[in-house]
Amino acid sequence: MTALGVTSTAGPSSQVADYVISVRGVRKHFPIKEGVLQRVTGHVRAVDDVSFDVPRGKTVGLVGESGCGKSTLGRVISGLTDATEGGVYFRLSHAAKDRLDELLAIPEAERSAAEGRELAEIDRAHRIDALGKDRWREYRRNCQVVFQDAFASLNPRHLVKDIIGRPLRIHHEASGTQLTERIVDLLESVGLGSQHLYRFPHQFSGGQRQRISIARAVALDPEFIVLDEPTSALDVSVQAQILNLLHDLQEQRGLTYLFISHDLNVVEHMSDRIIVMYLGQIAETGPSEQIFAAARHPYTEALLEANPAVEGGARAVTRLKGSVPDPARPPQGCRFHTRCPVVTSQCGWEVDDAVTEAELRDSGLDGLSGVSRQSAFSADLTFETEAQAAAFVAQLQAQETPEPLAAALTELRQTGTDVSVRFQPVVPVRLERVGPDQLSACLLHTGQQPAAEAVAR
Amino acid sequence: MSATDPTSPASMHSGTGPALAERVPLVSVEGLRVHFTSKRGVVHAVDGVTLDIGDGETVALVGETGSGKSVTAKSLLRLIPRPPGVIAGGKALFRSKMPCPGCRGAGCVDCGQTGRVGEPCTACAGAGCGVCGQSGRSTVDLLTIPEDELRDIRGNRIAMIFQDPGKALNPALTIRAQIAEVFAEHRSDELVSEAGLDDESGRLLRRAVRNRGRFFERRLGSLPPLRSQRRRVDAVLDGRIVEALADTRIPNPVKIMRSYPHELSGGMKQRVMIAQALACDPDLLIADEPTTALDVTIQARILDLIGELQARRGTSVLYISHDLSLVRGIADRAAVMYAGMLAEVGPAEQIFADPLHPYTRGLLAAIPTPGMGRGRLAAIEGTVPELIDPPPACRFHTRCPHAATACARTDPPLAIRQPPDHRAACLLYDDAAEVGERPEDMPDRSAAS
Repeated sequence: MTALGVTSTAGPSSQVADYVISVRGVRKHFPIKEGVLQRVTGHVRAVDDVSFDVPRGKTVGLVGESGCGKSTLGRVISGLTDATEGGVYFRLSHAAKDRLDELLAIPEAERSAAEGRELAEIDRAHRIDALGKDRWREYRRNCQVVFQDAFASLNPRHLVKDIIGRPLRIHHEASGTQLTERIVDLLESVGLGSQHLYRFPHQFSGGQRQRISIARAVALDPEFIVLDEPTSALDVSVQAQILNLLHDLQEQRGLTYLFISHDLNVVEHMSDRIIVMYLGQIAETGPSEQIFAAARHPYTEALLEANPAVEGGARAVTRLKGSVPDPARPPQGCRFHTRCPVVTSQCGWEVDDAVTEAELRDSGLDGLSGVSRQSAFSADLTFETEAQAAAFVAQLQAQETPEPLAAALTELRQTGTDVSVRFQPVVPVRLERVGPDQLSACLLHTGQQPAAEAVAR
Repeated sequence: MSATDPTSPASMHSGTGPALAERVPLVSVEGLRVHFTSKRGVVHAVDGVTLDIGDGETVALVGETGSGKSVTAKSLLRLIPRPPGVIAGGKALFRSKMPCPGCRGAGCVDCGQTGRVGEPCTACAGAGCGVCGQSGRSTVDLLTIPEDELRDIRGNRIAMIFQDPGKALNPALTIRAQIAEVFAEHRSDELVSEAGLDDESGRLLRRAVRNRGRFFERRLGSLPPLRSQRRRVDAVLDGRIVEALADTRIPNPVKIMRSYPHELSGGMKQRVMIAQALACDPDLLIADEPTTALDVTIQARILDLIGELQARRGTSVLYISHDLSLVRGIADRAAVMYAGMLAEVGPAEQIFADPLHPYTRGLLAAIPTPGMGRGRLAAIEGTVPELIDPPPACRFHTRCPHAATACARTDPPLAIRQPPDHRAACLLYDDAAEVGERPEDMPDRSAAS
């Protein structure tokens, strides 16, 4: 057994773990069911291969537009839903994390028996879906969640005393008068008092309800709290109170936060590190100041530009076109390429893009009767008449078609009523280091050459 | 109630610059009060709001939840439920515009390229009389005119965009049907004449188009001679709808027209709402938190779109929002509301650069900005007071850092604090003698500046 083995047997009970949470290759796919038999016809890829670490005592901010999977990721981390693939690791030390990365880097088929056992060992000690009963219980008490809607997350038929006292009772922390004392302490720590003990949630304002949620979350003195948009339902003045409270609690109790929000001002204010998600994947990650001062990914730049600021002058504005693509069929290559202002021909153009482009015009897709698709990059479209097929080709060759798309087209040939569309195949873009501690998934900055690689295959 | 202070209209309308100063505002709200009766007493949701909206101006109404900003806007169109709502007092004078006679709506120098000019008063033909308050413009009080006259104004002269496009659109109707309704209600004459039909057969069709036809009339309309005419009207209507949708930069409007709301994304739905609101070229657009339900990237584009359409058509916009940082970028003037009253009104730039009211200052300080130490946000302590039978006092005094004895018993007037028209309702800027207080009870001015 290696030195690592020792730390891993110490496991979750050790208080010196450097990373409270480490996420490795997590995917969460929701099946789309159709028909009477509810056959699975596809998957919504809410979270698609996400890895990051949450260091102890820090706040990691998770930002992105609605539907990018940030809340789903929060639920997976807190154990409320299972990941489809990948794992969430709890309390890894530096050494254990490095070893885990080494082991995970080896493809499963090439792993030796010893390496497999070592991985299983780490999994049993740290991976939340493989923990034993007692460790799982310990994880549950050390990982708490504060939800966005404090009205929906507090049982309207329970008294505040029951709501905050429940975690303490479940974990046999206190009972009787001692329990009441603990609850009053907790209420006071979030700026409420003993006069609120015997009230129902509806008797409180939004800000007070969020305080109750926070009191419940810190009741068991956890290490880690997932804050899922804790202030987005609140007014700015109340939001400021809650953010200050969260900060004070973090100072006093040494808490680690995963702060999920779509409000960039708030995330910047609260976070040490920031993760920008787009369509289930990480677009960019790095220290908070660095992301805000020198964003490298065009998506982060666009988000920052669109964010209204109270101070500072008007910024040069590039607006993103279109909306977030369907997560059941995420774009090839870089997922952001359909909306990217600095897109190149190498970014992953595919048949779907050509079709969407034609669809935006008035008569581009009229009479489309069949599609035979060889891959995402190659398909034959059949139209009802030759004229309609010609119209489709003409639409794609027209001036309005984005230049990168036209450049990426390797073949656009009409034979009778058929049109064959071919694009250069491209591999998905990877997150790569672009600065000290800053990762970005964009071809422009990372110098990846996926097109060349793909052609070589 | 001194804060209502119905200052004479002449001194009120001062817009963004000298060019607007001598113009008559499009809408003058004077001392508007809206109450709601409840079991526990009368809730003074809006308690004396005085506000002008100039031609082509964007006025932002900012405030927290429950400050009465939406109620103010809705009562302009009398959309508040009555009962329990009661319009307890005040006026909302609306001076509608008409197509410019010089250019017939095409845009000329006279109308400032917007194609619209103020409609002269019918009683005095623009000379100024008692009916129009010496403005010479055709003036109606939105709060008292009969319901059918208001119906002609709603959606036609004053349109509204609601917060949640998902809820404001009818899920059971196509986009076409929902926009067609606006044209059918307000433009049925134009549709019939554009379809090249004479007045005789037009009358029946008009009723049919407006969905006002009786049962046998509808049957008659589906018989061959009228059917073909109806189709011609429908074709004209389709053209209008496509035009309206295309104006909001919706790609492929023909396809969108045939779809249902659930098939569209949030941003698209909001565009449809905007198309619907702007279909009849309104003089005033009331936007009630139109981007709150949207992502920042979509929000930015919707704001661009509203700004662009406004600039082209010279529409005035009343923009309601709780988001100060957003308002800063779009508004000419801003009005900050707190607990049913205006705390501060003035040019948006001045309000952001030099806020006068402690509440506005608190709100601005509460927004996280770069470089601000974590955990040191200047939160406004306490919560919004109950609005049931409020005493005559500054509504903010329970949370105000500068509150003094006088604040709890005197209602500060919304007076001009910084010329030309930066107003704030705070005793910090009042003389003790003027408000009838002893000097030692007044808040300390030195601590505030």
